[in-house]
Amino acid sequence: MKTTRILAAVVAAGVAATLAACSGSGGGAAGTAAQHSDTLAIGTMTAAASLDPTQATGSGMPYYQAVYDTLILRKADGTYAPMLATEWSYDDTRTALSLTLRQGVTFTDGSAFDGAAVKKNLIAFRDGGGGSATELSALKSVKVVDAHHVVLELKQPDPGLLFSLSDAAGLVASPTKIGSKDLATQPDGTGPYTLDTASTAIGSKYVFTRKADYWGDKAAYKTVTISSFDNENAIVNGLKTGQLNTAILQTVDQQTAAESDTKLTSQKFEFDFQGLILFDRAGALNKALGDVKVRQAINYAIDRDALLTGLRQGRGTVTSQIWGPDTPGYEKSLDDAYPYDPAKAKQLLAEAGYADGFTLTLPALAGITTDAMTSALSTQLKKVGITLKWDSLDGSTALQKIFRDRAYAGMVMNLGQATDAWTVVQAAILPGTFNMFGYTDPTVTKLAAKIAAEPADQAGADAKALNEHVVDQAWFAPFYRMTYTLVTDQTVKATTQSGMAVPSLYDYTPAS
Amino acid sequence: MTTFVLRRLAAGIFLLLVISFLTFALLSVPHTDVGRALLGQNASQAAVDARNASLGLDRPMLAQYADWLSHAVRGDLGRSWFTGEDVWSALATRLPVTLSIVVGVTLVTAVLSLLLGVWAAVRGGVVDRLVQVLSVIGYALPGFLVTLVLVLVFAVQLRWFPAIGYIPFTQSPSGWLSTVTLPIAALSVGAVAGVAQQVRGSVADVLERDFVRTLRARGLPPGRILFRHVVRNASAPALTVLGLQFVGLLGGAVLVEQIFGLPGIGSMTVQYTTRGDIPVIMGLVMVSVVGVVVVNLVVDVLVGVPNPKARVA
Repeated sequence: MKTTRILAAVVAAGVAATLAACSGSGGGAAGTAAQHSDTLAIGTMTAAASLDPTQATGSGMPYYQAVYDTLILRKADGTYAPMLATEWSYDDTRTALSLTLRQGVTFTDGSAFDGAAVKKNLIAFRDGGGGSATELSALKSVKVVDAHHVVLELKQPDPGLLFSLSDAAGLVASPTKIGSKDLATQPDGTGPYTLDTASTAIGSKYVFTRKADYWGDKAAYKTVTISSFDNENAIVNGLKTGQLNTAILQTVDQQTAAESDTKLTSQKFEFDFQGLILFDRAGALNKALGDVKVRQAINYAIDRDALLTGLRQGRGTVTSQIWGPDTPGYEKSLDDAYPYDPAKAKQLLAEAGYADGFTLTLPALAGITTDAMTSALSTQLKKVGITLKWDSLDGSTALQKIFRDRAYAGMVMNLGQATDAWTVVQAAILPGTFNMFGYTDPTVTKLAAKIAAEPADQAGADAKALNEHVVDQAWFAPFYRMTYTLVTDQTVKATTQSGMAVPSLYDYTPAS
Repeated sequence: MTTFVLRRLAAGIFLLLVISFLTFALLSVPHTDVGRALLGQNASQAAVDARNASLGLDRPMLAQYADWLSHAVRGDLGRSWFTGEDVWSALATRLPVTLSIVVGVTLVTAVLSLLLGVWAAVRGGVVDRLVQVLSVIGYALPGFLVTLVLVLVFAVQLRWFPAIGYIPFTQSPSGWLSTVTLPIAALSVGAVAGVAQQVRGSVADVLERDFVRTLRARGLPPGRILFRHVVRNASAPALTVLGLQFVGLLGGAVLVEQIFGLPGIGSMTVQYTTRGDIPVIMGLVMVSVVGVVVVNLVVDVLVGVPNPKARVA
């Protein structure tokens, strides 16, 4: 009998504890509502990596922006403003960029921000082997004129340099910590916040605390948390319960789930386009793709409207160009350059000698090529005689097969649309990562060289000519630009950041 | 007893070695392009190759393993290739999260399934059938469905519990309880269903034995017969199933940790394995193996506590 009583007591204690938890969390929810303007909780699908700025890449910028400042500030509309550098100017040959540095700024460890610190950071970034190290591949050397003036000497003009200095390459860490392994988890910069290492779970939730002696305007929040998730369902639950204040949503289902909640605001914007990239334009792997008529036929055979409706419930804009509306050289009419026309596709295939069609093998990548997409594309291309064969690959081996082994003549993927033409040219057009077969033609070479040599704001005409040429040559078969939503609750106002999939940390302000 | 424990510990260490080697070998097979995963799509192939070389991935698998092992035996599990975090500190942050859930589920399961199982076996009739039907339903319901419904009802609609996140016990005990309650409830449904059936079956078996009849005939109070004699005899299979559940819960933890956005070792396993972060995966595997060895040892010793016949020599 004694045992029964003990069991009963255990159960009773359990119930009491559960009730206590209920009332506890209820009180907590009310409490957090009152403190909301003090705290910003961001949910993200971008996996956090090392906080060592030499390893930074553009997609992880918000993590870094809390702790580090960049040399140049890129505002939400994409224009540049002073940050750690107060002034900058090029020489006539555009191979030397002079920077005037802000005075009286210190790192968290007390060391001073000066020319030597900038030099050490830039060289470490260029040689650090990070994912964005190529942003500074044109940098020859850094001349420290005095404590507050440096000159960046370039091997050749780099129209993307100002962008890079407002991006990963522009982050500045304490010179005493550069090269130390600890920087990855104990960042030290001049930024508005410091990492609260005690509350942070590296790789999952990062907690940043406002710095009392920040050189600039006082940061908007006392505490900023960035939590990374591997599914948007958890993010939407967090937004609905007020545990997260803001997040970007990419999948249509979760976007609608957030929109059904009246307390949440969704701002639509387009950043990534999704489409088929035809790498093998010389026909080295798949002979048919070497013929421009075949590439054009693929473009005519794709029913973009049907894809957009079927795969993303119409959330997006169909397009035939990889340039986005914010990219200099964008031409609206090119969105419809290849209307759906299977008859024309068949005719072009016949002219190219592929009247009986051909087979194209593409990698199927989890997260991008859904079953719905592979079957829709296969059906559409089958109609004109092209057979698609899909190779199922897992994430990590896929990248190796695609980029190093060059095992595929093309692939479906999502690519961001930059705000400057040079970034597009460098990332997607010139031989390199997304042009791994290294194909080019005289027109592309000539126009790319011109764009490289002229200031970014004057590159519009040449960029447009290049865009038209690439669309005409059907280097790509884009489907549509996808609508993403920037969701915020009632406590926060946020602006989408031009040229980035996620807002910068500076783009969030308390609503009241 | 001591010899038994020592022998089992020695076997455990051997197991650690074998499993660490097998894991390392398996991780080296798919030629995961870690450098590319680290540096992103925009990095040049030369940079990717350089990074792979700097991580030692261009060396033969045996050399890499020997290197890892020589550090591991000295207590150095290395740093995560992706976050730069020390593997020990990564495990130290995340292990309490998963342990909170797994231990919580095990306790809840032990208490509830004992109550339900004994109740069903002793009462029989409608109660028995009710418990059996509930068990089958609880066992048949997919774990993720239970979890999603619990989140939707108790977190999103009623706001009784947070929908995501984890608060460490040391920071706020009540906050900790509020963050682990739903995950524990979600995993307990299936576990209770399974173990309660086991308890019911073995208690019912023991109740029909001759010695119970004899005890009844001698006029012992029913409660004393039940708890002193029946449950004690019936506990071995139940404890064994409970031990198996505990180990199996590590798999269930992956699911709830993802749905609740908890920074535990379940979600960590998925995240770091897909990226091919070998130091972290090896650390996780070692911790899991140690956990399984220890739990099995504890179960073997515990089974002997109420039942001298089952005591280990």
